[in-house]
Amino acid sequence: MDEIVNELQAVPWPVVAPIIIIQFLLMVIALIDCLRRGGETKGPQWVWILVIVFGGIFGPIIYFLFGRRND
Amino acid sequence: MRQWIILFKKEVKESIRNFKWIWIPVVFILLGLTQPVVSYYLPDLLEQFGGLPEGAAAAFPVPTGSQVLAETLGQFSQIGLLVLVLAFMGAVAGERNNGTNIMILVKPVSYASYISAKWAHMVLLALVSFTAGFIFSVYYTFLLIESVPAAHIIQGALVYGLWLTFVVTVVLTLSTIIKSPAAVAFLTFGVTITLSLMSSLLPEIMTWSPGMLSSHSHSFFMNGYGNEGFWLSLMCTILMIAVMLSLAIYVFRKKEMAVHTT
Repeated sequence: MDEIVNELQAVPWPVVAPIIIIQFLLMVIALIDCLRRGGETKGPQWVWILVIVFGGIFGPIIYFLFGRRND
Repeated sequence: MRQWIILFKKEVKESIRNFKWIWIPVVFILLGLTQPVVSYYLPDLLEQFGGLPEGAAAAFPVPTGSQVLAETLGQFSQIGLLVLVLAFMGAVAGERNNGTNIMILVKPVSYASYISAKWAHMVLLALVSFTAGFIFSVYYTFLLIESVPAAHIIQGALVYGLWLTFVVTVVLTLSTIIKSPAAVAFLTFGVTITLSLMSSLLPEIMTWSPGMLSSHSHSFFMNGYGNEGFWLSLMCTILMIAVMLSLAIYVFRKKEMAVHTT
């Protein structure tokens, strides 16, 4: 347990936090768009949700570029 | 002029509605933030996870500020350009395929303003995204590594912005000529990769090339002036942008005329 705490404290949070926040923001925007569209995605919606959530930085980008119909 | 502004507003509205005005700048910001952090912590990361022999990480010194800025531009040139080109590949071709442009062109809209409004909007979005991403990159570089003279940064960024403008113009022009958006993207990458590759392999005969602009911008970060032949490639790029834009308008007018008369 102590080791994990130490490791976490070693992470330079002030530097890393903005990156995580912005990446999260991108994910949320993609999710909102995906859900708002309902079934209007190329391919099944639940696959795109998985891609957005677990695809790292590229998940939302790929969704925005290729996931939407009549763009 | 009023007509042009209406067309331009239509482009902006469309891109706000499909979130392009949010997600493309966010992607650039993410790229801009990540590069300085990665450069700064690379020795640490290699030590912890790289499995390198003791002391080998010392062979990777933290780069200078101008190097990090140049690396950021490298990221923009890869993932950033990929995103821009793929986002814009359907600019004209897509509208032609789904019929939107017929709705617009039945009104007394000049072909030139239709194309130039599209172009202006694409360039604006590309440059705003680039600027946003680069500001974050500069901030992190100053914070973590060292400061670079502001004049150098601004000059380098302007030069790089012209390269982005060039690529966006290529996308738009090809998009008016070719029907398939995928082919547009593919050909644009072909053109940009060939230009940058030729420029780095044969710098002597490619001094005019727009592909030289990114290496000129690196030189601006480093020394505050461009490499030899900077003005030539600057002028050639501006000229080529103007020619491509006129070509796009010409081709578009011809194609639409053919559609409307038959």
